[in-house]
Amino acid sequence: MLLETSARTKKVKMRVENKSKGASMKKVLIGFHLIIFFILPLSLYAGVPQNTVEGHVNNVLNVLRDPAMKGDKAKKAKKEKVRAISEKMFDFNELSRRTLAMNWKNLNPDQQKEFIDLYKDILEDAYMDRIMSYSDEKVVFSKEIMLSDDTAEVQSNIITKKAEIPIYYRVILKDGNWRVYDVIIEGVSLIKNYRTQFRDILANKSPEELLKVLRKKVGKA
Amino acid sequence: MKLIVLTIGVVGLFAVSLFSFSYYSLASTVIASDHDQEGKSSQVDQTLQDQKQSTQEPDELIEEPDQEQEPSDQEEEIIEEEEEETVQIADPLYIWNKGMYYFNDKFYFWLLKPVTQGYSAVFPEGVRLSISNFYQNITTPIRFVNNLLQLKMKSAGNELLRLVLNTTFGVAGLGDFAKDKMDIKRHDEDLGQTFGHYGIGHGFYIVWPILGPSSLRDTVGYVGDLFLHPVSYITPIETAVGIDAHDKVNETSFHIGDYEDIIKAAVDPYISIRDAYVQHRKKKVEE
Repeated sequence: MLLETSARTKKVKMRVENKSKGASMKKVLIGFHLIIFFILPLSLYAGVPQNTVEGHVNNVLNVLRDPAMKGDKAKKAKKEKVRAISEKMFDFNELSRRTLAMNWKNLNPDQQKEFIDLYKDILEDAYMDRIMSYSDEKVVFSKEIMLSDDTAEVQSNIITKKAEIPIYYRVILKDGNWRVYDVIIEGVSLIKNYRTQFRDILANKSPEELLKVLRKKVGKA
Repeated sequence: MKLIVLTIGVVGLFAVSLFSFSYYSLASTVIASDHDQEGKSSQVDQTLQDQKQSTQEPDELIEEPDQEQEPSDQEEEIIEEEEEETVQIADPLYIWNKGMYYFNDKFYFWLLKPVTQGYSAVFPEGVRLSISNFYQNITTPIRFVNNLLQLKMKSAGNELLRLVLNTTFGVAGLGDFAKDKMDIKRHDEDLGQTFGHYGIGHGFYIVWPILGPSSLRDTVGYVGDLFLHPVSYITPIETAVGIDAHDKVNETSFHIGDYEDIIKAAVDPYISIRDAYVQHRKKKVEE
């Protein structure tokens, strides 16, 4: 859908340009070839976001399922591996900026840097145990939707005996890599949920005080 | 004065809804809690709005040099895009809500969770799954009517078909024959969603004791749906309440740990749950 509309706007732009220059039929033809030229690589990209996310998720599942890694000692090693994959999978910079949105600029560069680190710790504390408690539920990737030229939503479902839990990953293309900047579970966006909480704090408190709250949360106070 | 009148009204509404302890799909997030910090004013959203505006203005007036590596335009675009998508809900009953949220937290940890754990120890997962299917099956009228009201004919038809198939081949609704064998899935619709479908907003946020997060719209919807809930017609009331309590415990047995995870992840659990409720319901309405 989005691909189509962006292609359409391109077409329209092309046409307008050509008209304004009083272009000949030849130029129009060249225009059309250009359109095809531009669209092709885009359509080739479709599938890459999903493959990327799916690859990371499968890597995590392989670590969790590894029969050679059992017991408490192995658990630590597993966590390390999952952490390493998540570093590759997520764009914590983008995730942090989008979480704070309007408030991002109110933090100075040092505070922004610390915020990213603390936020990452909070997310890790929150989700690592959950990931580690995984017990062979099936993960099915259904489709991807292009949101813009460089962002996409990859949709997946976790199938438990009781229900299907939809988990959508929002990814952004940077330096040739698709990386996750938001996870939407049953319609609840991770970054939006934190945004509401941080905004509430920043409504009456300074960025420094927000960082203090976060330090306390991760036990770095 | 106003607050007292409102509180009385709210308690009145609660008395009506106490007839049934039914569950939401957010079963475990339903109960609210607080572990970290204290919230601020009761006019949270007002302050949010004010703050939004006050930060917006200087951006528009002065074009300050960008401190980051990213180009400024792109930055603005991202922020605008994200801000547009932020959903808010009014919270004029903040004091009541926060109180109920403490209550629900204690209710969960002191009563619901231990009872559910004992229950789970006695009844294996398969049995609990069948019971869950049974309760889902008898609430078909709610989903059927609300699909009809939203003119979702195919979904309404599927609900009817599911009722027939699951009541017969699924043995009185204990099995989900329609989903397992024929891939006909449930279409969750309730009156709150029907209102939302026709453009009616939440009004404001309300946290009910035991029932958990709701809004004015969804509470009215909930009470309306009770007329289609077979258990509402069971007498004496004690029996009906008992059945609903069992339903709630059975449902909770699949979600032990979810609520704990939410509190653990949240910086401000009250706000986190409120926001999750609004986002989740928004998705439900859009589906």
